[in-house]
Amino acid sequence: MKPRVLIVIPAFNEEASIVSVLLGLRRIVPEFDRVVVNDGAKDATGSIVAELGERQIKLACNLGYGRALQTGLKYALIRGYDIIVSIDADGQHAPEDVPRLVEALIERKADLVIGSRYCDGRPYTGPISRRLGQLLFSHMTGFLIGWRVYDTSSGFKALRAHVCEKIIRATFWDFHTETIVRLSLNGARISEYPISARERDHGRSMHSYMSIVEYPLKTLLLIVVAAMDGLLERRTR
Amino acid sequence: MSTQGILLIDFLGLGFILLVINLVRTHRLYVGFGVVWLLAVAGLMVMISIAPLRNFITLVVGARFPASAMSLLAFVFIFGVLIFFSMQLSALSKRQIELIQSLALKELLEQEEQVEKEEFESENG
Repeated sequence: MKPRVLIVIPAFNEEASIVSVLLGLRRIVPEFDRVVVNDGAKDATGSIVAELGERQIKLACNLGYGRALQTGLKYALIRGYDIIVSIDADGQHAPEDVPRLVEALIERKADLVIGSRYCDGRPYTGPISRRLGQLLFSHMTGFLIGWRVYDTSSGFKALRAHVCEKIIRATFWDFHTETIVRLSLNGARISEYPISARERDHGRSMHSYMSIVEYPLKTLLLIVVAAMDGLLERRTR
Repeated sequence: MSTQGILLIDFLGLGFILLVINLVRTHRLYVGFGVVWLLAVAGLMVMISIAPLRNFITLVVGARFPASAMSLLAFVFIFGVLIFFSMQLSALSKRQIELIQSLALKELLEQEEQVEKEEFESENG
């Protein structure tokens, strides 16, 4: 039996890119269901999604990327999907990679496959702060889980619903490094799959100048919490 | 501490207790926070009014003067209250997020149910 797949697209003020993302997904993977989580967008994102006749979860106010994604995951669990794919709404991920990511998840018998921009020897790109952050968190995952994840902050992931159930109540401030650590310490099989990604053409990144300081500190704290939870759960098992 | 000073602090403390009780009564202060403030004021009044207790606390915390001991205890209290408030804010924030998510999910699920119902009705005449 074919697994039921849901693509979750958290979107905040993405009126310029949401159409191409949704049409691309419709064209490439019409067999997969889609849901846009409108994270309190103040622009026309919501009305565009409605006009396209796409499924939309409308959050009353902006909860942030992690919480928006959590809402999508909750929906997937309620509706009984087998596999969930998260993809960014800014158009940086190619819809062509979606079926490949799902195939990789099934073929590798993995629980989580990360669409990776940096595996296979590709260098870190972008501003120095981002590169340093990627390097730090990549090595940190290597230290904590025993093998290095090269792209810890990719928003493009495919995961199995049973794994999602384990983390749905965790702190969804973000869904990146801390999730990888938490799942890995929970015994989940995690893998990276090389994808192509491009910089956003329109709109603003969710990361502000403040986040240069805030993001790594919050992530570090959440990694420590995830590691502690993992160790405590192993003891109780 | 002079009797005049003790009386002044006790008088102010009583006023503060009445204020807190009134705030709880008029629903402008959550009862949990009210209890925290009442305990703090009552504790301060007791410590200041009973000289042997004041001297004992000064000795226990290793201070030379009672005023230093009071400052230390005040600092600990403020730190504790801030942690308590942070926890309360976090709990409220968590509840708010869960509520917003539940409402949004409920709205979509109801819409889908409605569509399914209409499709079923049109199929069955």
